[in-house]
Amino acid sequence: MNTREYIESGNLEAFVLGVLTPQEEAQVRADIAANPELANEVASIEAAMFNYAVAQSVTPPLALENQIWDAIQAQEKEQHIPELNITAAPVSTPVNGGGDTIHLENKSIPFTPASKNTTWRYAAVWVALLGSVALNAVLSYQNNQQKEQFATASTKINEKMGQLIAEQRSMAQVLDIYRKRSDMMADTGMQTVVMHTVVKGHPMAATVYWSKSSGAAYVMLDALPQPPKGMQYQLWVMQDGKPVDMGVLPLDMTATASIQKVEKPVMNGQGFAISLEKMGGSPSPTMENIYVMGKS
Amino acid sequence: MPPIATTYTEEELILLLKQQSRDAFNYLYKNYSAVLYGVINKVVFDEETANDVLQEVFVKIWNNIGQYDAQKGRIYTWMINIARNAAIDKLRSKGEIMRSKIQMGEDVVNDVQKGQKTEQTTDTIGLRKIVSGLKPEYEVIVSLAYFKGYTLDEISKTLEIPLGTVKTRMRRAMQQLRAAFNN
Repeated sequence: MNTREYIESGNLEAFVLGVLTPQEEAQVRADIAANPELANEVASIEAAMFNYAVAQSVTPPLALENQIWDAIQAQEKEQHIPELNITAAPVSTPVNGGGDTIHLENKSIPFTPASKNTTWRYAAVWVALLGSVALNAVLSYQNNQQKEQFATASTKINEKMGQLIAEQRSMAQVLDIYRKRSDMMADTGMQTVVMHTVVKGHPMAATVYWSKSSGAAYVMLDALPQPPKGMQYQLWVMQDGKPVDMGVLPLDMTATASIQKVEKPVMNGQGFAISLEKMGGSPSPTMENIYVMGKS
Repeated sequence: MPPIATTYTEEELILLLKQQSRDAFNYLYKNYSAVLYGVINKVVFDEETANDVLQEVFVKIWNNIGQYDAQKGRIYTWMINIARNAAIDKLRSKGEIMRSKIQMGEDVVNDVQKGQKTEQTTDTIGLRKIVSGLKPEYEVIVSLAYFKGYTLDEISKTLEIPLGTVKTRMRRAMQQLRAAFNN
């Protein structure tokens, strides 16, 4: 089956709708991983289902918001990592063996020749033996329980550590961006051009950092929505009243808050603008799709 | 098409959620509760159950945001799947799935009517048209699959149509949705 036929079969729709068996699902996952065209198709189907879900939104009852917040608060209190219960096992616990209380003391039984009360001695040995077996069982059970508690606690700690590391990593990325940004702001040769929204009622902004002497320019999307499917942002520089194409911006920029170097050198210009264009960009900006604009 | 003003990007939302603050919760609730509640209401029958499930879903999102993997899909898909699965699980645990399977035909019709009656928070009239515009034979299949947790085989048997046809209709349904939302 070629890619076209695969897509036409409806198998990917079945996958997104969650009706395949686990084996079929695993197969589709593997197919997607091997073929970006299939992955794109799945993303579009998912987006369609999201829109479908949005279209059927229902506002929950008013009181629910606070009730849910209270529930979250309540379970967070319970959820704290349980204290490690490392109190030693009570070794001296009396163990009930055959009605008698046997203490764990090292008593050696002298080896004396068999006498008349052999029966009693045998009985005593058996009682001691059984008591010891029972005690072993109890101790081993307690030991296992503690091991389990310990294991759960340490998995929880590991999970928390993993979360913290991931968090720290994404914070570091954000910090790095801000650092770059402040470096550029501090650079006196670098001009900062803030582009503000031109669409009424939609607060949006982006910034261009531009070195007039070198022609190097960087752009950052401070607050622009994710472009819709099949569309892409494009940067323009206004030169003598005419917009000149400065290239399209990577699709993931809105999601990652990154700073992007402008590919082409900007040697002169009186302002910058960003418009929403079809994938790959347009030779000239679509006027009604200009989102932000700023003068240098 | 006017831009949808988003206050936070997906990445910022995830960071915000990880702070586990009241603000984060308010934002999440304000922006996603209606969509999630809508999904839950497509699955379960009564309001009380729907409310319980919504609470469960928010608690799950709250507790598992650390495990969310951006590589595996968008955050909204992740949240909707949590809602859908929690609702379907609730149905199963209550033994209602059998009831719903028996009553399938009427339920789907009822759901469609209920969906139209319920006040929807969609801000564009266009979207509502699309929902009601999905052909009934497509709507039934999407509903059974997505909101009732049926397998392909079960859909084929209940509706008495071949497996291949079920898949083809799924494709047509999605294409209709895609075409409608892209315009």
